[in-house]
Amino acid sequence: MRLRFLLFSLWLAVFAGACAHAAVAVVIVSSERSPAYVEAAEALVSELERGGLSRYDMLQLTALEWAAAGPLAPKLFIALGTEAASALAKSELRAPVLSTLLPRSSFERVLRKSGRKSSSQFSALYLDQPLSRQLELIRLALPTARRVGVLWGPESQAQAPALKTLAQASGLDLIEATVGHDELLFSSLKSVLEDADLLLAVADPQLYNSSSIQNILLASFRAKVPLVAFSPAYVRAGALLALHVTPTQIGLQAATIARGVLLGKALSANPIYSLDFSVTVNEHVARSLGLTLDADALRARLRSREGLL
Amino acid sequence: MNYSFRLIALLGWTSLAAAQTPESVSEKDFLGDMPIVLSVSRLPQRLDETPGAVTILDRNMIRLSGARDVADLLRLVPGFQTSTSFETVAPLASYHGGFDSYSNRIQVLIDGRSAYSPYFIGSIGPGLQTVALEDIERIEVLRGSNSAAYGARAMLGVINIVTRHTVDTLGQQAALTGGENGIRDSQARIGWGKEDATYRLTVDRRADGGLVGSNGHNQISRINFRADLHPNVTDEIQLRAGSLEIDAGKGKPLNIDDPLRESFFGSGYAQLDWRRSLGEDEDVAVSLSHTEETYRDTFPYSLIPLGINDSINIEGSGRASNDTLSLQHTFRHGEALRVVWGGEVRREEVVSKPLYNTDAAFVTEFSRLFANAEWRLARDLVLNAGSMFEHSSVSGDSFAPRLMLNWHVAQGQTLRAGVSKAFRPPSTFEQYSNIRYFWNGHLLAVNTQASGKVQPESVRARELGYLGDFPWLGLNLDVRAFHEQISGFIRQQNTTPRDYANDEDFAIQGLEYQLKWQPWRDSQLMFNQTYTDINSSDQGSALAAPKLTSSITLFQKLPGGLDLSLMHQDSGTVTLQGANFRDQVAMTRTDLRLGLPLRFGPNRGELALVVQNLGVPYQDFSPHFQFQRRAFVTLRVEN
Repeated sequence: MRLRFLLFSLWLAVFAGACAHAAVAVVIVSSERSPAYVEAAEALVSELERGGLSRYDMLQLTALEWAAAGPLAPKLFIALGTEAASALAKSELRAPVLSTLLPRSSFERVLRKSGRKSSSQFSALYLDQPLSRQLELIRLALPTARRVGVLWGPESQAQAPALKTLAQASGLDLIEATVGHDELLFSSLKSVLEDADLLLAVADPQLYNSSSIQNILLASFRAKVPLVAFSPAYVRAGALLALHVTPTQIGLQAATIARGVLLGKALSANPIYSLDFSVTVNEHVARSLGLTLDADALRARLRSREGLL
Repeated sequence: MNYSFRLIALLGWTSLAAAQTPESVSEKDFLGDMPIVLSVSRLPQRLDETPGAVTILDRNMIRLSGARDVADLLRLVPGFQTSTSFETVAPLASYHGGFDSYSNRIQVLIDGRSAYSPYFIGSIGPGLQTVALEDIERIEVLRGSNSAAYGARAMLGVINIVTRHTVDTLGQQAALTGGENGIRDSQARIGWGKEDATYRLTVDRRADGGLVGSNGHNQISRINFRADLHPNVTDEIQLRAGSLEIDAGKGKPLNIDDPLRESFFGSGYAQLDWRRSLGEDEDVAVSLSHTEETYRDTFPYSLIPLGINDSINIEGSGRASNDTLSLQHTFRHGEALRVVWGGEVRREEVVSKPLYNTDAAFVTEFSRLFANAEWRLARDLVLNAGSMFEHSSVSGDSFAPRLMLNWHVAQGQTLRAGVSKAFRPPSTFEQYSNIRYFWNGHLLAVNTQASGKVQPESVRARELGYLGDFPWLGLNLDVRAFHEQISGFIRQQNTTPRDYANDEDFAIQGLEYQLKWQPWRDSQLMFNQTYTDINSSDQGSALAAPKLTSSITLFQKLPGGLDLSLMHQDSGTVTLQGANFRDQVAMTRTDLRLGLPLRFGPNRGELALVVQNLGVPYQDFSPHFQFQRRAFVTLRVEN
């Protein structure tokens, strides 16, 4: 009851805001109002406020509210999440759109479906981490590992050629297996775990989901092949470590980009990966595997490799 | 066998596969939650933080060893004495002394279920034969007293056999072995299932002609079933069932007290395990199991020497069973403390008219409460403190505490020191045996009559350990110095009739180490030595373990993927398990194995040649029995 009242007041505030500020500078459209989106939006809004923008210059909507909203003419649209990006892609907008809090393949799907191309009018800040950074982290965290196991599924397979090239350049061998549509991943997983020193998870909901993760983590732990994952939730579940960007980090970088646009700079025509990132380590798993890993030190070393410190 | 089939029928429904509609990648994959999988009890302690010395024999090592059963494999573990004889039901393995023809001072667990046989004076021999070698993921040998965690029978050590997860054994696999000494082994396995339910059924047979000079024609037949079910993300259910049959010839020619004859040992088990994860730092597990054993051994004894033109049957037949229910709670408190605590109730029943002169069942009920804490006092200091309180309906209460401190002196360098106390209550036989021979209702003789005065024997173990890891040298060292003070050692008395009593106090002390070295690519060299000194006043017990044993093992991958294994064992003078103190022999044995990996289409396999004991025959179990060279070939295929 209290929640409903709160949501209603929120809606009222937004609605009132929309009416009062038909000419807001930034419109932020979130796919939904669940914690990660709220966290990213909060970071974005506070950072913009810190840069001198007033809260009244910004308008926050969900994708659903956006569909019902009247015409708006801000200087920049920011989409948080795939659904929001998709909704904005379908609209005729005068201002540039920055899509963020979505992975690269989702953004590319949005482009394909809307017939758009990425440009300074429609660009993105990705949520997933570049493969090169993931390989660099592997080299830092597991220096003796040479054979990187990867499972490819229908959604992730497109990244296979890129990873192959990068792995070769870093002196790493790929132990790959492809899991077809509706195929069980057991046999592919088994063959990869037999030869690999670690398993690098590349997001693909057919392979990595809440019902398959148990078998994957248990099998890889039995084979003493640690899982290097793409989100902190996997680390909590039992992956050795993950490279990821937090919603706050995304919000902050989106704010920096937004400030540039408000100052007259164009959006980068090519979508970009996040500059900042986090490393999460499951210390219990590390200890059990006889490893000592320090997440902060790994992040710092990775940043300095990229010239960020 | 019944258990397995009944269970499979029961599971015929399989479970419904989680209908997962494949979606596209989105931010949900990166931001969504995941169930906790590697919760606290699933993460084993690191070898340099365990409260004692641990040797792990993994699947690869098991394959490369060429061993045909677990007992033979344990030769590779420092401090072990083994035999291949079936004279006392099944091949034996004991740690720090084979004090008699059975091995009853160490515990054997198969996936957490005790396979210690309560029949006779207690033995782990048949338990070691429970599962096919092909189904074993690894064997963890906890060298040293471990009653604080595993109860009274872990007085000197624990053999923890972990079978392969059914997810890892999907598909079909089969193996055939044939060779000298009548070796004819066969094994077949099938694994099936879906993401949330996987199953395995393995059937195997192991047969050979036994030791030269023995009435050997031994055959072990097994069937084992395992199911792993994940009804949801927090629960895990495992079902296991199986049966074991050992048909062995025993006895000696022209020996009226131990004539040539056939013996049979059969056992069956069913086990249900349920584990629920209560979060990252906490889970609970419940385990329920039932085991049954049958033993048949009978021979006619001529009464002509007594002036009677007839014969009587001398028998050791009977049956035993046990039921166990255990509950375990594991939790982590902050970064520094991890605790496992729980309880167990166990009921054992032994029935044997020939051994106890009654048809009544001897029931022993055990209740156990245990707690073990791993406390990280500092970054480089781990204290393992634990204890078990055990109540036996027959021999009363006992309390087995243990304290062990592991200090990581430097990266890869660990020192360990600790003390523990443990008890072994007398077995039903040692307590109640009453072997009488009758003819036509007349009592002819009383062979054994236990006075029942025997008390639990105890051990106070002190140890110092060192674990060194030198990755730049490819070298790894595990040293254990031990002093195991045994009090009230239970021994058969040379009285008429025979009895058991708490005989003497003595100490087993010594040092054992294992050096693992990777001198060059694709090779592994292991060197073990054990110095043991048993200061028993009994000459036989004093040499129940040799003063010095050494073994060296080389595994080398050759060009073409060929696996070469060379194993040499040199064991000092020891009292043979099935003989008396006058029969003391030393032995050397060298084994060779060559394995050729095979690949045809999606199928893989191996063709292996094993030659056991390349040198001269050595005496095993009895001075009349010899282990001669045995060469055999194994073909294994799987898809």
